[in-house]
Amino acid sequence: MDSEPGDFVVGALMAIFGLIGLFLAARAADGEMYVFGLGLVAFAALFILGLIKRRYDRIDAARALVRVRHDV
Amino acid sequence: MSDAVMHGGVAESVLGPAPIYNDAVVKKFVIASIFWAIVAFLVGVWIATELTWPAANLGLSWINFGRLRPVHTSAAIFAFGGSALFGTSFFVVQRTCRARLWGGEALANFVFWGYQFFIVMAALSYVMGFSQSKEYAEPEWHIDLWLTVVWVCYLLIYVGTLIKRQEPHIYVANWFYLAFIVTVAMLHIVNNMALPISLYAAKSYSVYSGVQDALVQWWYGHNAVGFFLTAGFLGMMYYFIPKAAGRPVYSYRLSIVHFWTLIFLYIWAGPHHLHWTALPDWTQTLGMAFSIMLWMPSWGGMINGIMTLSGAWDKLRTDPGLRFSVTAVGFYGMSTFEGPVMSVRDVNALSHYTDWTIGHVHSGALGWVAFIVFGALYYLVPVLWHRQRLYSTKLVAWHYWIATLGIVLYIVSMWVAGIMQGLMWRAYDQYGFLQYSFVESVVAVHPFYVIRLLGGVFFLSGALIMVYNFYRTITSPTTEAPQAMRPAPIAAPAGAFGVAGE
Repeated sequence: MDSEPGDFVVGALMAIFGLIGLFLAARAADGEMYVFGLGLVAFAALFILGLIKRRYDRIDAARALVRVRHDV
Repeated sequence: MSDAVMHGGVAESVLGPAPIYNDAVVKKFVIASIFWAIVAFLVGVWIATELTWPAANLGLSWINFGRLRPVHTSAAIFAFGGSALFGTSFFVVQRTCRARLWGGEALANFVFWGYQFFIVMAALSYVMGFSQSKEYAEPEWHIDLWLTVVWVCYLLIYVGTLIKRQEPHIYVANWFYLAFIVTVAMLHIVNNMALPISLYAAKSYSVYSGVQDALVQWWYGHNAVGFFLTAGFLGMMYYFIPKAAGRPVYSYRLSIVHFWTLIFLYIWAGPHHLHWTALPDWTQTLGMAFSIMLWMPSWGGMINGIMTLSGAWDKLRTDPGLRFSVTAVGFYGMSTFEGPVMSVRDVNALSHYTDWTIGHVHSGALGWVAFIVFGALYYLVPVLWHRQRLYSTKLVAWHYWIATLGIVLYIVSMWVAGIMQGLMWRAYDQYGFLQYSFVESVVAVHPFYVIRLLGGVFFLSGALIMVYNFYRTITSPTTEAPQAMRPAPIAAPAGAFGVAGE
């Protein structure tokens, strides 16, 4: 399997955190909350990109292994 | 590169769910722990400089002592110590349960990156001047909520892995790690109950007030010491000392007695932080009595750790990493003797608010926590990066002696400074007036602050030597393991690791 169920659960959680971060940054009453909100958005976005990258890494690795076995 | 590829080149997606360990997340935590160690020690040295020569804050609010002090404590406890605890607990639970981490790679990665995000956000908030003014619980409500989410995920992974274990027995190290995770969750949630002034503002007010607030804070504060800085690292001790020594735990029965007595007694000891305050007398006495009782399980654990080397004492000559671990247990014994002494109300009348407390904390933090982590790291790095050995054991020995000298300079100077402060503050002249003004006590401790700074520089220097040694261990061709020694992509049974009780 290329994706684990946890990838989708964590990915969905990240999307929610990213949205919360956007709201916090948009309506922030002080500098601290603004920094935290933007940080949360960046964190969520980067984490989701990481999830996508790891999925394709797994697919590539599986293909490479099949190719090696085929050659042998 | 995915975990599946890293584990001996076998793709999990092709072979099905092979019982391979998730060491990628352990590696990340190890790297984070090393990084945060340097940050914590560096900031510690910097604020020690500011205490010695206040002009060193350069007049900048961002780096004044009040803001950098929580950066130092959080970096040392939560970032350096916490990352080491997360990493080693994930390493230990997988091997002693013969099971891969529950929840998959994504959840483990979330715990890692989420925890690092917490650390960075907390540090940023401190330097920006935001704090809820609770020692070791300075982050405001929004950061506390984030940590709660991360911590619950950590708990789920840990308990999930224990549940799906293939070993019938739960090794004692896991009990200590689990107590650390569960209790810190409880402490964190209860102590940080607060009402924000707005959902979009960082400022909040605690739901507790007055002496209740103080009691809850020190119930949290002391148990942060008991369950974060003690129980978690005892888990580390019970796995890595037997592993490094190649000997079973001296007494497995004693380790169980150690666990339950420590867990039962620690939770009541917090009020000793509030002697001679508005807290009712009986509560102070309760805290004092339980603190004194704590001496026994603490020393039981110390004896168990040290005696595990029975029959393997010679390894202390050849394995400086193990020397770190065993010295750590010695410091554990020393600071868990000093703590109960300081909790006695009459001793506390002299020691409280003085630098003696700072010395006590650092004999625990540097001697116990940092040394037990260094011992574990010197064991882990070659194992995780599949290297035959460390790059240089001579450099480990240098690290050991420089760090030990640093600790001695630190704690001795703080003992002298603290007792002198306490005595100066309580001295009366023949007319019944205070003999010294406060500023005279500040002037009197100045030389000892310089010595403390020197101790900190020594400790930092030792850690930098460790970083260089690890870098060379990972990259140098001289440490490469022969192909035959590389790990097979299957989980070895926990019993194969030589730890008693597995």
